[in-house]
Amino acid sequence: MSDTTPTLASGQPQRPRTQLVATGFACAAISMMMAGALGFYMARRHASGPHPGSDWLDGLAVPNPQFDYALLTLVASLVTAHWALWASRRRDTAHAWTAIATTLILGLGFINMVMYSLNRMGVEIGAGEYQNLAFATTGLALAVVVVGLLYLGLMGLRSLGGSVGQQGSTAFGAAVFFWDFAALVWTVTWYTVYVVK
Amino acid sequence: MSENTTASTSPGVPVEDPTPFGWLTTADHKRTGRLFIVCSLVFLVLGAVLDLLVRLDLTSSTDFVTLGSDSFAQGFAFSREALTLLFIIPAFLGVSMYMVPLQIGAANLAFPRAATASFWAWKVSAIVLMGAYLGNGGPYGGWANGVDLHLLALSGLVISLLLGSISVATTIMTMRSPGLYMDETPPFTWSSLVSTSMLVVSLPVLLGQIAILYIDHRYGRVFLLGNYGVWERIDWIHRTPQLFIYVVPVLGVAAEIVLATARRRVFEPLAMYFTIGLVGLFGFGAWTNFAITGEGADIIDGFEGVVYVGLYGGALLGTLGLLGLLGLALIQNRKLPKISTSLLAALGAGKLVLVGAFIGLIGAAVDWLEIAGRGNDGNPQLRMTTWVTGQQSVLIYGAGLLGLLAAIHWWAPKIWGRQLNELVGMLNFLVIGTGTLLAFAGPALSGLLTEQPDFVYADPEATALYADWIDDSGAEGLSAIGAVGVAILIAGTCLLLLNLFVSVGLKKGPQADDDPWGAQSPEWMLPSPPPMGEIDELPMLTSGTPLLDSTEPEEVTA
Repeated sequence: MSDTTPTLASGQPQRPRTQLVATGFACAAISMMMAGALGFYMARRHASGPHPGSDWLDGLAVPNPQFDYALLTLVASLVTAHWALWASRRRDTAHAWTAIATTLILGLGFINMVMYSLNRMGVEIGAGEYQNLAFATTGLALAVVVVGLLYLGLMGLRSLGGSVGQQGSTAFGAAVFFWDFAALVWTVTWYTVYVVK
Repeated sequence: MSENTTASTSPGVPVEDPTPFGWLTTADHKRTGRLFIVCSLVFLVLGAVLDLLVRLDLTSSTDFVTLGSDSFAQGFAFSREALTLLFIIPAFLGVSMYMVPLQIGAANLAFPRAATASFWAWKVSAIVLMGAYLGNGGPYGGWANGVDLHLLALSGLVISLLLGSISVATTIMTMRSPGLYMDETPPFTWSSLVSTSMLVVSLPVLLGQIAILYIDHRYGRVFLLGNYGVWERIDWIHRTPQLFIYVVPVLGVAAEIVLATARRRVFEPLAMYFTIGLVGLFGFGAWTNFAITGEGADIIDGFEGVVYVGLYGGALLGTLGLLGLLGLALIQNRKLPKISTSLLAALGAGKLVLVGAFIGLIGAAVDWLEIAGRGNDGNPQLRMTTWVTGQQSVLIYGAGLLGLLAAIHWWAPKIWGRQLNELVGMLNFLVIGTGTLLAFAGPALSGLLTEQPDFVYADPEATALYADWIDDSGAEGLSAIGAVGVAILIAGTCLLLLNLFVSVGLKKGPQADDDPWGAQSPEWMLPSPPPMGEIDELPMLTSGTPLLDSTEPEEVTA
């Protein structure tokens, strides 16, 4: 550095909520991905004609109770995820572990229930326009849920694996935020593809 | 900052491997940035060569000249994808990755390994994309698995660019030096934030589209016309207004160079940030057009017409406002600025963004108001003719390549520690400028005067064999002018690569000191180039112009 360059006091930049902000950007990106896919779905649905009378569903019957139970399972997992975050912020390791494990089990249960519902519904890929669109949109939403589950598990382990401090808690908070977002993604997809159809 | 600024050896800071293997596993934003810049320039040559072949095919309206019936559509598609996803987006992402941490006083990017992963994923996806095309895949390809492979490669490219964009945007949001508020950041950093944020909320739409395209093509080809239904739904990422998002960093580069050359702060910083943001904002929304319906918006007599005119008008106003502010800074200096390649290229690139927006506005207004019978009685809308190709040439080749020329010449001392040859740089500016003018004028005039189609989605062959579509045969000559322009642009890109090779690779360029331009933003306080790895001591910044704050404070306040 030349002599003419002014000398400034050195300082360490802070990194507040870096992971939370990055997660926010990721959520924005996923929102737009789903908007693209669901927008496509709705445009095709609109082009197929008025709902009663058109054979949009190709004879398929949506098993509403099963999908409803799946959604309830997801909502329950939101409660346990926030319980885990609440416990980790208080350094209550026992509660935090229990809540994270419960959340992961509920998340896996949700995925299982959705797969069961799709099997029961008889959605067969390549069989028709609705089937292909439903497969693509549902697949994307389920992928977001799986990523959320992995993120939650990973951050939970990192957070509780020795560093349940402010930074660890913020990272875990980001994962819980993403899990909330994943639930929202699923809800919007489910409402569009299986309720409004 | 102390005189002996060195790389950090503190615990927890990744240690850089100086061997070539270190480029694979680096956690240094400077290395990742360099990789993106150089590789995107190489891909530009590839994309431009394909563009040249496509344009040569258009020099005859009745025969294929170069690519032939089987490959024309794929060559067209690849050239567009290469110019956007392999060149303009990654090139400026690379410059952002390198410069942003230095400009905001951060030790590194927010997620440096994710940034490196984004580069290698982008690189691998690019190779897979080329493999898909070489195997007769891609849009309109005859190899079904190749069509699917192309879609997978495309999603790989988008995901990797998103990863890099999130890394840059998060860095700017959270890792600025304490005291450096957002409205004090250097203009290039701000433009990087605008561009990466807008990429984050626009490119993922393509992912949603690709998921549906992939499933329908792979399983049954039920409703999207197989390989014929792909291109019309992904073409929006290569057209305006989406292209404005890609050129937002060009405006940051222009502002950075002009203000530093004038040794001025901008008259009204918030206005500058607002105008740059406006261009990014009005680039949003392209996906609602072709991506969803596959047919394009009903621009005539409709609400979409107003929206399009508004989008282009907003981008035009934003660019005009920024250039006005920069012009004011130059005038306030009361001295002729020192002419350099960077300054000429920066001013040229900024003006070409303005021209791009103006062309878009004319096109949208003509279509909306049905001027000269556009959209009626079989006359195609202007945005469906090669008028669009002209606009793409102005924004990608003109603004993009000239902006990159400016950025590379300006920041070469900081990136490689050496200055590039100025004489070659000036020649480079002239070559690229001339090439852009011809590459724009040929197709734009052809679209305007002869209604030559830009691309016929349902019958790509009719794009090259357009004798039945056009009003007269002048299109052939005008297409030839466009082809000459692209050939000149290829020469210009090779000249830039040659200048880099000789000045940096062979170390013939003069070794640069810390601040060879007498510039004012924070990166010029660091050694040229900064040491590998994270810097040990970081400046405590309270302004985006620390070097200006410390000299002649009474003269620089506008």
